[in-house]
Amino acid sequence: MPEPDGDLNRKAVAQALASLGDTGHLSLVEVAADGVTAFRIHRDANGCPRGRSWSATWTDLAGERGWDADPDGIREAVLRAARVSPPTAEVILAAASPGGPRAEQALDWLRAAHPGAQVLRAGAPIAALVREVMVDDPLTRSYELVVMLADPGTDRLRLTSRRLFPIGARPGARTRVAVRCEPGGAYGTAFAVVTWQGPEPRLLSVQSAPIPPGRYEVTAELVRPGRVRFTGLPELSPDPRDWDRLVAALPDRLPGGTGPAHLVCAVEVCGTDDLVAERLSRARQVINRSAGELGGPLRVSLVAYAAHSYDGSAREFPVRAMTWQADAGEALDALGELEEQGAIARGYPYHPHAAQLEDMLALVVRRLDWDDPTPVVLLTVGGRSPHPPRTDLSGVLPCPHRHDWRRPLAALEQRPGTVLGAICDQAGDRAHPAWHRLGAAALAHLEAVDVHGLAADLGLVAPSPGHLPFPLLDETE
Amino acid sequence: MQPEPARGRPGHNISMWGAPGSGKTTLLAALFIALARRNDDWKIIGSDPASSDYLIEKTNALSRGKVFPEASMTLERYHWTLIGPAPRRSGFWGRKAKPGPPTRIGISMIDAPGGLFGTGRRPAGAPSGVAAAADGAGDPRRQELLDNLEQSRGIVFLFDPIREFTLGDAFDHMHAPLTRLAERMLAAGEFLDGKLPHHIAVCVTKFDDPRVLETAEKRRLLTTDIDDPHGVPRVTSEDAKELFRELCQVSASGNADMVLNALDQFFHADRIRFFATSSIGFYIDRRTKMFDWDDFQNMLPGEADEDSRIRGQLHPINVVEPMLWLGQRLAAIRPATEVS
Repeated sequence: MPEPDGDLNRKAVAQALASLGDTGHLSLVEVAADGVTAFRIHRDANGCPRGRSWSATWTDLAGERGWDADPDGIREAVLRAARVSPPTAEVILAAASPGGPRAEQALDWLRAAHPGAQVLRAGAPIAALVREVMVDDPLTRSYELVVMLADPGTDRLRLTSRRLFPIGARPGARTRVAVRCEPGGAYGTAFAVVTWQGPEPRLLSVQSAPIPPGRYEVTAELVRPGRVRFTGLPELSPDPRDWDRLVAALPDRLPGGTGPAHLVCAVEVCGTDDLVAERLSRARQVINRSAGELGGPLRVSLVAYAAHSYDGSAREFPVRAMTWQADAGEALDALGELEEQGAIARGYPYHPHAAQLEDMLALVVRRLDWDDPTPVVLLTVGGRSPHPPRTDLSGVLPCPHRHDWRRPLAALEQRPGTVLGAICDQAGDRAHPAWHRLGAAALAHLEAVDVHGLAADLGLVAPSPGHLPFPLLDETE
Repeated sequence: MQPEPARGRPGHNISMWGAPGSGKTTLLAALFIALARRNDDWKIIGSDPASSDYLIEKTNALSRGKVFPEASMTLERYHWTLIGPAPRRSGFWGRKAKPGPPTRIGISMIDAPGGLFGTGRRPAGAPSGVAAAADGAGDPRRQELLDNLEQSRGIVFLFDPIREFTLGDAFDHMHAPLTRLAERMLAAGEFLDGKLPHHIAVCVTKFDDPRVLETAEKRRLLTTDIDDPHGVPRVTSEDAKELFRELCQVSASGNADMVLNALDQFFHADRIRFFATSSIGFYIDRRTKMFDWDDFQNMLPGEADEDSRIRGQLHPINVVEPMLWLGQRLAAIRPATEVS
């Protein structure tokens, strides 16, 4: 039997709590001069210890008939008052001193019922010790702050978490984290702490407040398991939103114009006159909208492409950069030239089902400055399939230049800060697979284009509403 | 009836046979071009003004306009004579040999609108009141087709593997006329050994289509003639039957294998020969003048309201060979006659 030493008792209870798993229970039964107090402790979904206690006096247990009238009945009452369940729970029995004959009798009954139980001798009520041990319980899961990260090229946002406290951290631990706050909407900016159990985060706490936009050095302090205090910010209040509501408020990218951009507008200028006019009109709308709303300067490149000629005596219309990195006005003038020119029918017999999409991609890849960090948006407006690099079963004749559309497209997809959008005049299920990749960020049908939405998806204009529910992780340090 | 040309009557008659759209007209037009590209004395001449006009028109369309000849909308009968070099007769005691009469092979094509050779559906173009028999036996135009087949001893049968892949009706267009033909030959006492007396050249068409070429390549059936300056892949007649069998596997109806069985049942094995043919051939780049595996399609699809077009020069493949094979085999049976 251990000595009735407070430190030893604390150590014993702490060890029992440390070995408590996610599904088990720790039952601690204190037998004192006045009665029995039962404590039952478990861990919640975030690994925090949670406990309840129940107390019963000897009088409560013996009833009006007295202690000696029905020993078996009193024994059963004592065992019930211990609330040891389920049977697999670990049990600690604590005998308070001084105890008395009733306490000793009850202790004997409990030891007999739970022969594997540890028995502690306590000189003072054990409730305070249990609370202290629970508060000082080291973390069984790391605590992480929910933050957002913006892709430096595209300003596309993604949700992630930044570790505040590792497993084993104890109350009093502190961590500094640099964040940037943007307007956060009705609830302000939420400082949400999560733990991870598998692929899904579990929300531990959410506190929020309207925080003026700017950079903040925030200190997170572990107050106790389940409680994190943030300083360096305006005072935070508990936020009633659950995880789903928080995530539902996430925008795709940073609100507001985010600086300069290079819009490459590639337009298919073969087909019927009406179709070509419609494509050029859509390109004009996107350029106009982007030039009007983009926060930084907009550079526009206009590329025209048509169909390949398969008659050696008829020269085809080659892929042409009408403007390259020009201002929007110059690009719109060049667009006007294309509108006046109308559909290209030169190079007959041209291929009726495919166009120089692969040549256009090769030209764009060749002309882009790969060292320039300015975000690039390639907007392709057309509908025909590309030519394969060599004869295949598609029936489409191979590109005379043997360009393989997959290569330049893959290069653009991997280029940092490059966004691909498309306006296609074929329905999604009828469009060549290349169009789905060309419209990876936004794919609209020619007849129904939400110009603002498309431009917002491509990062050319601000999305609405422009609120960020979580802080942005500041990685400038 | 086989017409008689003005000064010579062909000793052998060949009939062209195949499902509508299988390429009979294109093959005939390509035959003229293929003969023109040969360095021998074979030529094809119309046996009557209408047939000459037809040949000129379709050949011009194919070679200049680069459009595929339009499919027949009405029943059309055409007759040509394939005239070859005269076989040389040996001289007596070293005397100079005298040239014999030129070889003449009659070619008949009854270009039928879609359905005429098919199952019991009313043929396109027929009066609505005309009820077709189950196999169209009562239709006078079918009678004419059968007359033509009966009087010829050589048949060029066109099997379009692409059409078979999408429609799968080759057997439908073969079975009824073949059965009727056998019936006639039996009545005429020419079915004595249980087979038709005809020779048949089975032409697997559209060899230039990537799907057909790929099938031949996968089966390792391709070869290249070392004398071919363009290095064009071909399938020999010996291997063409295997190509035919392989292409039957992807028939839309699953009935293509019955075409092969019907050929074996109705024709002597030594009178059947398979040819992998292409009327337009592969695209040959004018600069390199060589076949290019990366770029060999010679057909350019048309716009929605246009027919397909031919991209480059025509280089017909195995278009002359079936005719000459039939001519040689028929000549061996019954020498050509000459009318002076």
